[in-house]
Amino acid sequence: MRTRLVKPGTLALMALAAGAEAGAAQASAKPVTLLNVSYDPTRELYEDFDHQFAAYWKEKTGQTVTVRQSHGGSGKQARSVIDGLQADVVTLALAYDIDQIAEKSGLLPAAWQRRLPDNSAPYTSTMVLLVRKGNPRGIRDWGDLAKPGVSVITPNPKTSGGARWNYLAAWAWALRQPGGNDASARAFVTRLYQNVPVLDAGARGATTTFVERGIGDVLIAWENEALLAIKELGPGRFEVVTPSVSILAEPPVAVVDKVAAKHGTQAVAQAYLEYLYSEAGQEIAAKHFYRPRLPAVATKYASQFPRISLVTVDEVFGGWEKANAAHFADGALFDQIYQPGR
Amino acid sequence: MSSARYWCSGIALTLGTVVAPPQGVAQQIAADSAPPSLAARVDELDQQIRVLQRLRELAADSAAAAASDRASATANARDGFSLRSADGKYALRLRGYAQTDARFVPGDGAGAFTNSFFLRRARPILEATVGRYFDFRLMPDFGQGQTVLFDAYWEGKFDPAFTVRAGKFKSPISLERLRSATDVTFAERGFPSNLAPNRDIGLRIAGDVSGGVLSYEAGVFDGAADLGNLDADLSDSKDLVARLFVQPFGRGTLQGSGFGVAGSTGNEQGSATATGLPGYRTPSQQMFFRYRTGTTSGTTVLAAGRRSRLYPQAFLALGSLGVLGEYAISRQDVTLAGTTVRLEHHAWQASGSYFLTGEKAGFRSPAPRKPFDLKAGTFGALELAARYGEIDIDGDAFPLFADPAGSARGARGAGLGINWYLNQAMKLLVNYEHTTFGGGAARGDRKPEDFVVTRFQHSF
Repeated sequence: MRTRLVKPGTLALMALAAGAEAGAAQASAKPVTLLNVSYDPTRELYEDFDHQFAAYWKEKTGQTVTVRQSHGGSGKQARSVIDGLQADVVTLALAYDIDQIAEKSGLLPAAWQRRLPDNSAPYTSTMVLLVRKGNPRGIRDWGDLAKPGVSVITPNPKTSGGARWNYLAAWAWALRQPGGNDASARAFVTRLYQNVPVLDAGARGATTTFVERGIGDVLIAWENEALLAIKELGPGRFEVVTPSVSILAEPPVAVVDKVAAKHGTQAVAQAYLEYLYSEAGQEIAAKHFYRPRLPAVATKYASQFPRISLVTVDEVFGGWEKANAAHFADGALFDQIYQPGR
Repeated sequence: MSSARYWCSGIALTLGTVVAPPQGVAQQIAADSAPPSLAARVDELDQQIRVLQRLRELAADSAAAAASDRASATANARDGFSLRSADGKYALRLRGYAQTDARFVPGDGAGAFTNSFFLRRARPILEATVGRYFDFRLMPDFGQGQTVLFDAYWEGKFDPAFTVRAGKFKSPISLERLRSATDVTFAERGFPSNLAPNRDIGLRIAGDVSGGVLSYEAGVFDGAADLGNLDADLSDSKDLVARLFVQPFGRGTLQGSGFGVAGSTGNEQGSATATGLPGYRTPSQQMFFRYRTGTTSGTTVLAAGRRSRLYPQAFLALGSLGVLGEYAISRQDVTLAGTTVRLEHHAWQASGSYFLTGEKAGFRSPAPRKPFDLKAGTFGALELAARYGEIDIDGDAFPLFADPAGSARGARGAGLGINWYLNQAMKLLVNYEHTTFGGGAARGDRKPEDFVVTRFQHSF
C-alpha cells in the first residue's frame, strides 16, 4: 500500500532551488518608483528635476526610476507621512516638519539633518511681497502690511511651512524697528493678521487667492513663488517688493529611511537627494528661482535674486523648536492673535 | 483683477446713469468727491464678494477632503460587515459562514454511518484592527453540536516581510489545511490533512519577501497531534514549525501558482488520559485507523518521544484550472507496555478543478463572473472537481499498536465533485468519494466506502 511519488527530500531541495532562482531573477534591474512628499510651491521644480534625475539614473545604473510627487502645506504633508503616507523622500518647507516625522513616527533618525551638506537644505529662499502692477497701495516694507485698509494674503501657519516663514519674517522686522521688542512685535503681527481676509492651507492656495481670484493688495510669498508668478503671468500684472529685511528660508530634504528600506529604494532615494547638490541639480533649482548653494551656480544666477538683509530662525527665535512652541503650537501666540473673519 | 475692475467700473457707470441727479446737484456731489468714493466702495464690495466666494471655495475643498477622510461602514459578501476609522488604523469586521450538509454512505450495511442532515460548521468571525499594526481574530465553531474555539490570535503586521502572530490558529504545515474551509474544493480535506495538526497554540513569525515571491513562516507551538485541535499542552517540550513557499510567476499566466515545503519537529509524551496520538479519518469522517487503548497506561499506546512531519506541497493555477498537490510524512515515537517504536505514516493527494464558466482558479474561491440572477438569466459559476489520494500507515503499527477492532493499514480514495457558486456568499456542492482500504483488520480488508455529500454553504 505504501506509495511514494518522489523522495520528499529531493522535492524540498528542488522547491528551494527553483524558488531562489526565480527570486533572484525578479530582483535584478527592476524599475523603481519613488514618492517625494513635498510642500506646496515645489511642483514645477520637482517636475523638472525628476525628469532630469530619471535620465541621469538610467544612464548611471540602467535602472528606470519613476518619481511620484505629492504636494500640500508642509505641516499637513508631514502629518500625512506620520499617519502612513509612504514617502521615500520628503522635501519640506522647514526642518521642524521633518523633525516631527522623526520624533512621532521614528521613520528616520533624529539627526537626519546632519546627513547631507548645508543642514540638508540644498537650496534656500526667502519671503518677499507681491503686489499688483503699479503698487496702488504704495507698499514698500512690512510696516505697510499692518496699515488700515490693506488686504494681505498669506496662508495658515498651522498648516503651511511657508506661512510660518512669513509670520516669523514679519516678527523679525518688527523686532528690528526702533524700540522693537516682543510686545511691539506682537502688536504689529496682530494688526497684520487683522488685514488677512482668507487663510489658505498652503502657499500655492494663497497664490491662487491673490493671483487668480483677485483678492487682496499684497501677497506674502516665497521668493521663488513670486518670481514664478511674474514669469508665468508677465510683469504687466504684478511687481515684487523686496522688504528691508526678511528671513533665510532653508527648505530641507531627507530620505525616509524605514519606508525606503521597505520599498528597497534606499540607494536611489539617497542619490535623488544628492543630485540636488550637483551642478545640474543646482541649475534646475536656480531656474525655478530657488537660491542655489553651489557658489558657481549662485554667481551665475545672482542677478535674478535681489539683495536682502536676511535673518535666521536660529539667531532671532532660538531655533525651530522654540519658535514653534512660542508661536505655532496649539494655544500659542498665533492662536491668540488671529481672529478668523476679523 | 483688471477684468473685475472693468466690470465694476461698468456697474459704477450704470449706477451713475440710472440714479443721475440734476446737473447742479451733481456738480455739488462732484465737489464732495462722490465718484472716487463710489468707485472705492464698489472696489470694496467687489473684494468682499471675492473673499466670500473664495471662503466658500475653501470650505467646499475642506468638506470634500473631510468626506474622503470620514470613517466608513461597509457590507459586502466577501468581507462581511465592517466599520473603519477615517485613517484606516481602526477597524472592526464581522464575518461568518455556515455549512449544512446532507451526508450519505449507501450500502454501509450495519448502519455504522447514519445518513443525516448535518451542521458541519457554523462559525462567526470577529476581526479587529487596532492601531496601525495590530490585528485580532476570534473564531469559534458551533457546528456538530459542539462549541470549539478554532482561532483566537493577535497579529502584529509590522511589515509585509515581518509579521508576528500569537495565540491559537492553523499550524503552517499542510497546504490544504491552510486553505479556508469555505474555499476547499471538496467538502472534506484529503488524506494528507490527516497527518498535520488542525489548530495549535503558539507564536509564529511570517512574511513575504521580494514582493511575495517567497513566503516564510516559522514558529514555536505547544505541539498538537495529527488532526488535533489543541487547547492544552501535554508536556513541556514544544514543536518547531517552518514553511517556505515560492510563487515565482508574478502576474503572468501562472499567477498564484507556487510550491514549497513545510515541516515540524518536537517531542510528545502522552498519558493514559491524554495519549497525544491521533486517529485517522475517511472522507466521510469515519475513523479507519486508531491506536490501541485500554484502561491503564500499560494497555494504551502513548506518544513517547520524537514527532516530526514533512510536507512538500504545490498549487497550480492555470486559467480556469486549479491543481493542488501535497505529500505528507508524519513520524511519531509511540510506546506500549515498554515497547517503543518510531512509526512513519505517509499520505498524498492530487486534486484538480476546472471552472466551466470561465472564472480564474486560485487558492481562494473566485467571485462568479455572472452571479445568479433569474431576471438576467445568469446562474453563477460552475466548477468540476476530481481528486485521488492515498494514506499509508506504517506496517510496524500492526498488530501491536493499532486498534485491532477497526484499523486499516491504508486507504485509497477517488472523488468527483460539482461546485456551484451562486454568488460570493452562496455555494452548493455535491461530492462523491469512493474509498478502499487495505490490510490491518484480522477479518480481512475493511469494506469500501461510498460517500455522497451535498453541502449548502453560506458566508458573509
